[in-house]
Amino acid sequence: MGRDGIAGLVCLVTSLALFAATIGLPEASLLVPVGPGFYPRIILGITAALSAALVIIDFTGRATRLEAPAAAPKNYRLVLVSFAIVGVYVALLPWLGFRIATLVFVLVMQVALEPPRSRNSWLRVLIVAVVTTLITYFVFERYLSVLLPRGRWTDF
Amino acid sequence: MYDLLFSGIANIVQIKYLLPLFLGTFIGVLGGALPGVTIAMTIIVVLPFTFSLDPLQGLAAMTGVYVGGSAGGLITACLLGIPGTPSAIATTFDGFPMVRNGEPGRAVWLGIWASFFGGLLGGVFLIAATGPLAAIALEFGPWEFFALFVFALSMVAGLTGGSITKGLLSGALGLVVTVMGSDPVMGAPRLTLGVGFLEGGINFLPVLIGVFAFSQLMSDIEKMGDAQQGQAAGPIPKLVVSHLKIIGEIIARPFLLLWTSFIGVLIGVLPAIGGSAASMLAYDQAKKFSRHPERFGTGAPEGIIASESSNNANVGGSLVTIMAFGIPGDIVTAVMLGAMTIHGIQSGPLFISQQSTLAYGIFAAYIVSHFLMVIIMALGARYMLRLTTVPKSVLIPVVLVLSVVGAYALNNTMANVYVLLVFGVLGYLLVKFGFPLAPLILGVILGDQIEINLIRSIMTDNNLWLFLTRPISGGLIVMSVASVVFALWQHRRHQKRNRHSTDGDADF
Repeated sequence: MGRDGIAGLVCLVTSLALFAATIGLPEASLLVPVGPGFYPRIILGITAALSAALVIIDFTGRATRLEAPAAAPKNYRLVLVSFAIVGVYVALLPWLGFRIATLVFVLVMQVALEPPRSRNSWLRVLIVAVVTTLITYFVFERYLSVLLPRGRWTDF
Repeated sequence: MYDLLFSGIANIVQIKYLLPLFLGTFIGVLGGALPGVTIAMTIIVVLPFTFSLDPLQGLAAMTGVYVGGSAGGLITACLLGIPGTPSAIATTFDGFPMVRNGEPGRAVWLGIWASFFGGLLGGVFLIAATGPLAAIALEFGPWEFFALFVFALSMVAGLTGGSITKGLLSGALGLVVTVMGSDPVMGAPRLTLGVGFLEGGINFLPVLIGVFAFSQLMSDIEKMGDAQQGQAAGPIPKLVVSHLKIIGEIIARPFLLLWTSFIGVLIGVLPAIGGSAASMLAYDQAKKFSRHPERFGTGAPEGIIASESSNNANVGGSLVTIMAFGIPGDIVTAVMLGAMTIHGIQSGPLFISQQSTLAYGIFAAYIVSHFLMVIIMALGARYMLRLTTVPKSVLIPVVLVLSVVGAYALNNTMANVYVLLVFGVLGYLLVKFGFPLAPLILGVILGDQIEINLIRSIMTDNNLWLFLTRPISGGLIVMSVASVVFALWQHRRHQKRNRHSTDGDADF
């Protein structure tokens, strides 16, 4: 099965599961001729049909399969690492508070994307992290009155 | 109308509005000039800064970003041969050769003045057409609105990406997102999957930021690691020219300017096609109508004028659709729509009559920002080249922090940040599986309106045939079907042509 087939199957299963979840919803009554489940069922029916179509097209191979030309090797490991770093940042944000979490995040992210090789590049990484944190903090808290998260552990 | 426009301009030149407009235009030009940073990314970064401003301040800043960004791309396009934004791709065709022929000032300033005139022509259309179009839309009942939104969605689904099935599925998935939450009639929670905060529904801004910003940044990250592409900016050329001569060069080709601006406006009005298609099409047209098509690609001034006038006129057209119908044509206008929603402003056909100060304020901001753009370019175009040396490893974390702040500051809850992250992962996966993102985003934005109008029309009259028998609604439904059929036909033709051509020669 190709890429489209997998995507289609995932969407199909999700649509059907969500469709099943609409079954318990209150039904239409005299006062309200259209129940809350009416529209979701239409939409989920459409997604299910389109997903099924995607799977079928993939299986019958009607979509002419053209081999992609050898592209530059993709650095998926770095993508995964980046997602993980963002995930940890978001998870720790309410616990560490915006200032500490952001400082660490910008620092770690830069190091992950381009490992510093000299003392100067370490210095640059550090300066970017500090400046980003300070500027966002002051601009948002002081001038734009957006309250950024305080840390539950750090109270900072 | 002109009284309103003049009072709008008098309003916008107050320092209270002029400052955000100037900053927006400036940041737009920077973002536009920076290769790899699109106008859409710039607006996402600017968004959180506008939350606590008053609506016109925020929208003025965004209008500035839009105008500045559409022009900013030409600097790097001409001087380095690298388009700063996708809409400047066609500018590289003749801008870069002209610079290499030893006329950097002429190339850059032809682009800037063409952007200026094209943008203002787009502005004329914007101001003249928004009111009448909104007046037509005011006559719409729920049937027509339903059909209009379905038409916009199906057109976008058909136009973007290679597979129509995937385009349609992507749009439908966007609609699924809006179904989660409480239903609009009885307020019954549905499909909340047991997650408490989903009962309030999912706000589209974190979805949009997540899907768009992550998919783009992560695609950039994929290419990182081995070779760092730190562009060393060489000596910066002097851009001194006689402006009268350059303006004369543009004005001497009135037909070219008008026609390419018209193309820009037209593409702008249609949702989700965007500035890059507008400038390519305009470039192509300019070449077709030229008496010397063979000069194109070697530094022909017509090429620069066509590309740059159309991509700025495109902004005007795009603003028409959002202001008259409340349908965003691209990420920038989608974010503007989101900003309006935050301030509780109802978009749609009533906008221009009920919020006329704001509407004419946006018109005024659009016009004034073109003048600001020229000033910013005159002062700083040379120095923006230095920006290209900012490494991706610095840009990406900063953009991510601002995306998180943007999602958080929407209503000061972490919930929206989690939505951002979930849709960030989802958006990246969708791109990897070859799904276009534009239909998904438009689906998320229009979903509630599609449902409400569908239900309103059924509650008014349970005869479903009305969708087809009411002339405007019927026409729009027919056009939706036609747009999908057209896309299918085009796709089929494209495939056939590919099969005839040598194998493996597909245009990926």
